[in-house]
Amino acid sequence: MILTALLGRSLARHRTLLVALTGLLAGFQVVLVLIARNLQRQGLYSQMAALMPPFIQEALGGALVASFGGTVALGFFHPIVMLSLSCAAIYLASEPAGEVEDGLVDLVVARPVPRHLIVARSAIVFAGGTALIVAVMFVANRGAVRWLTPGSGTALPPERLAMVATNLLAVVWCFGAASLAVAARLRRRAATAGTIALAAVFLYLLQFAAAAWNPLRPFARFSPFHYYEAMRTLMGAVAPARDIALLISVAGVLIAVAYASYTHRDL
Amino acid sequence: MPDAIRAESLTKYYGPVVALESLNLAVARGEVYGFLGPNGSGKTTTIRILLDLVRATSGLAFVDGLDCRAASLQVRERVGYLPAEMPIYRELTGDGYLRFLSALQAGPVDASFLRKLLLRFDVSDVDLRRRLDHLSHGMKRKFGIIQALMGRPPLLILDEPTSGLDPLMIEAFAETVHGLKIEGRTTIFLSSHVLSEVERLCDRVGIVRRGRLVRETSIADLRRETPRRLRVFFDGPAPEPPVSLAAAVRRQSKHWDLEWQGPLGGVLEAIREFPVADVEIEPFKLEDYVLTVYSDRPGSPA
Repeated sequence: MILTALLGRSLARHRTLLVALTGLLAGFQVVLVLIARNLQRQGLYSQMAALMPPFIQEALGGALVASFGGTVALGFFHPIVMLSLSCAAIYLASEPAGEVEDGLVDLVVARPVPRHLIVARSAIVFAGGTALIVAVMFVANRGAVRWLTPGSGTALPPERLAMVATNLLAVVWCFGAASLAVAARLRRRAATAGTIALAAVFLYLLQFAAAAWNPLRPFARFSPFHYYEAMRTLMGAVAPARDIALLISVAGVLIAVAYASYTHRDL
Repeated sequence: MPDAIRAESLTKYYGPVVALESLNLAVARGEVYGFLGPNGSGKTTTIRILLDLVRATSGLAFVDGLDCRAASLQVRERVGYLPAEMPIYRELTGDGYLRFLSALQAGPVDASFLRKLLLRFDVSDVDLRRRLDHLSHGMKRKFGIIQALMGRPPLLILDEPTSGLDPLMIEAFAETVHGLKIEGRTTIFLSSHVLSEVERLCDRVGIVRRGRLVRETSIADLRRETPRRLRVFFDGPAPEPPVSLAAAVRRQSKHWDLEWQGPLGGVLEAIREFPVADVEIEPFKLEDYVLTVYSDRPGSPA
């Protein structure tokens, strides 16, 4: 009953963000499918593949990059998509710090509300909210491929795309959990969300730079994006189950840290 | 039967800042207790420790004999709390606000009691449907008072309850406190800077300064102990005072200024034989006493 009330309130407070981001990212899937259909119909993929040097193709994920399937799946590994989803999770998870900042926690925790429910609420909201967005993206993608491009190109196996979507979600949850762990200690929501969002951008750039510059490679292991090889997964070259398990484990540890911090802190 | 509130050597440090230093406090059940002190003296920290919002560095706090830290949930089931800074969910309507907070209570809210509160604090159906961020400060405060009272908790902790309320609503609040006092099942722990309100509503006051409880007394004792100021006017020049009043009188050209401790009957008896034109009796003011304690002057009753 209490958790339901807390969840309802939190979802209501964040509904604009959730609805807007879901609409944008699902719409982006449809737009990508339409672009892929156009490129396919005009026969431009073969020209693109011919123009692209093999090492660039390889760096971008192989032949798939200049194909109908690759373009259609781009909405799951485009940097703007990854970072906007990560930032959404970071913001949703920073709610405990915001409640301390606004004094709302005085109203809620002065009632018989166990502290761990506040953390559980935020964990469910960021994980469930982003899962819902990714699920809608997936449905929009499959729906658009099915209804807008009949016979246009070789569709990727849905289970591979589902695996990529799950891997993306695991990356996003890592950042959400980090934000929750920090929010469980801090009193300022903007500071919490801002710090972790900057860290997410830095870690993305680190992974990106490490792909091109060997000395950075050992450090790329610290970036959750390192454990997200979307193109290779789509091509069937890797099975990301271990990466997903690792990312979810890290998220779990960070949520446990958030529980411990929030239980012992002064509000 | 345990006290409604008990604090034993309660100490709280925020880093190097001492918020509370060995605070001892006891509030009996059914009592209306005024918790006073200058800004930053540790009142809110004490309240927040009682609610387990912050943890004491050392010492213990109990509500109804339950440890505020170890039995935090059971304690919070018994408390209705109005914070000094009224936090609101801006996007919620008044009705939504009360419904959300009701859902977090231990038991259901009695709808007829809630209606009675809404009526008493003049909250209409239209007000209930308006968003909280569109309401005036006073109206938000009314919702704050209602949310604290609606669960009929045995302990009410009210921090600056009437701040921003109009005189009619201050009266409605006072009537509510009187009603609860008569029922005798609710203890009220009231922190306020409005000393006339404290004087009117409270049975006892505790004054905290720099994290320590420096004085605790009943309003009745204070009335008895605090010297009363009188001004006695005469038809013509002020005469020499009688021996019984000599020590208490400062003689002016046309009147006496008197400071008198104890029942006023003795003074009235003593001035009966003089040509008194008028007597002004300054009413008892808690403010005078409290300001002396706050001011930290030598000789203040710390």
